[in-house]
Amino acid sequence: MPHLDEGTLHALLDGELELAEVKEIQNHLGSCAACGSRLHDVKEFLTEADRLVADLHTPAGPAKVRREPAPPPQAARVQPPSAHPTADARPWREPVWDAAPELLLPEDPDEVVRRRRRTRLFRWAAMIAVVVGVGQFVRSGLTSKTLDLGSSERDIVLAPTPTPPAVVAPEETTRQETPQRSTPAAPVTKDRAPAPRPSSGAKVRAEEPTADTLTEQFDTMIMAGAEDTAPTQAADQVIAGAARADSDETERRAPENDAATREAAARALEELDRERLRSRANAATAALPPPRPEPQATVEAAPRTLEQKAQTYLRIGLDEAAKQLGRPMHVIEAMSPEFIGLAQGRTVPGADPNRPVVRVVYRDTRNRMILLDQQRLRTGQAPGAASGNLRWILGDVMLYLHGEPGNDVLRNLQRRVR
Amino acid sequence: MTADLTQLFEQHYESLVRMLYRRTGDRDRAEDLAQETFARAVAAPPNNPRPWLFAVALNLVREDGRRTVRQGRRLELLRAEDRPTEGPDVDFERQERSASVHAALATLGERDREALLLKAEGFNYEEIASTLGLSKGAVGTTLARARRRLVEAYRSEARGKNAAS
Repeated sequence: MPHLDEGTLHALLDGELELAEVKEIQNHLGSCAACGSRLHDVKEFLTEADRLVADLHTPAGPAKVRREPAPPPQAARVQPPSAHPTADARPWREPVWDAAPELLLPEDPDEVVRRRRRTRLFRWAAMIAVVVGVGQFVRSGLTSKTLDLGSSERDIVLAPTPTPPAVVAPEETTRQETPQRSTPAAPVTKDRAPAPRPSSGAKVRAEEPTADTLTEQFDTMIMAGAEDTAPTQAADQVIAGAARADSDETERRAPENDAATREAAARALEELDRERLRSRANAATAALPPPRPEPQATVEAAPRTLEQKAQTYLRIGLDEAAKQLGRPMHVIEAMSPEFIGLAQGRTVPGADPNRPVVRVVYRDTRNRMILLDQQRLRTGQAPGAASGNLRWILGDVMLYLHGEPGNDVLRNLQRRVR
Repeated sequence: MTADLTQLFEQHYESLVRMLYRRTGDRDRAEDLAQETFARAVAAPPNNPRPWLFAVALNLVREDGRRTVRQGRRLELLRAEDRPTEGPDVDFERQERSASVHAALATLGERDREALLLKAEGFNYEEIASTLGLSKGAVGTTLARARRRLVEAYRSEARGKNAAS
């Protein structure tokens, strides 16, 4: 067997050879001192080389594991980072797939769950709105229909007292109703709630429109004789009429014979009418959602990356920054930026809103974010009206230093901007 | 496909960034290149992902390197070494050693260097061959040359520094 070459020895030490080859090589090594010596050298190089490479630690830093929403199909056309951003660049929330080297990752499962929950909430809200609208429509339809039955029916319905008036004007029936409803023993009101008072009007409005409350509102409307009037207004009219009814009660006495007949008919018709109203109200409210626990009002905010926190929509390098500014970028002396990005001009007071602003993002020793915004001034362009000590001009570049630390800290840093 | 990509990312992102950092010496650049690589994986999901991802990443490094040289671009401001994470002495020593290893790596041929970095990421010969377009038989020879040159260059670098100090 010829001498072993280095490649074979490396493959041997890397465990890449078949068993038969290994045995053959072992036999050779047992009888060839030169190859044995070479194997020793190879092992030394291999160990040291692998150790050197392994010692190249990746420096600690925030892993750029960005879980962006699933990209649109055209996201495949991702350009290299050096692509020039356009002036009408969209906000960072909408990844600029044609320009930004964003990581295209599948959706976070948690985000999907949250979105579904939000969608379900909106669906319920829309359904409630539709049901309430339909309820209003049905109510107005019922009211007008019931009133069309004629004043005689109303007379009958509203004459439950043992001594009802023989002839009652429609206006008076309204006034007559409330005192009777407030008497628990009155046959008409035995299964109704007490008439609403002005002080409880707001409460009535705030309640869920259940079948009973809707029926109550419909009845109130009918008895108030107020076509196309809101329930609370109708209740107000009923209560206003009650005062007049008290004073006029003695004038509305009628013969007892007529009253007995009318009362029997009134009960029958009223029962029929109420049944019909109730069934319609039930149908109208059937689609209401069942009572359920209050949904989580605040959806957990997704963890924000530094880019999002700094409101930059694109990370750029020094070259791109220099291209934007027409000169080398300004930096804060003795501070290392976290990254350089582009922010929208309209988010920076005093900057040209139609052009991006170069934003150098720093973190101080207390992990507070500091932003040094820079934008090249165009000929004739003056910085916007909003001005402050921390916004100044160096050459033809407007600078704006802001961030989480207080103004005193920022002013100290301002002196170090070069 | 979504779950596959998530799995792909979780399995290979760290390793890819590590290899790219060793290759470029710049963490930010390594991360950008890794993201670009995964972006391409989204566009055209690979059948054999690991060699594919590393091959694309290494191609991007080569393209990026050429562009960087052409444009004279320097991203030193964003260099990872600017972010000390340990005590100054430990950090300084590590930076020194890293710089020497990077310098030694830079003396290797492109293919030798890449084979070495892939091996350090646990690639076997077959995967290295597939990623770099070599025959399997040539991988041992390539690695042998790469390891020897790396060690020799590193030793030479260390000797030069000692002589200078």
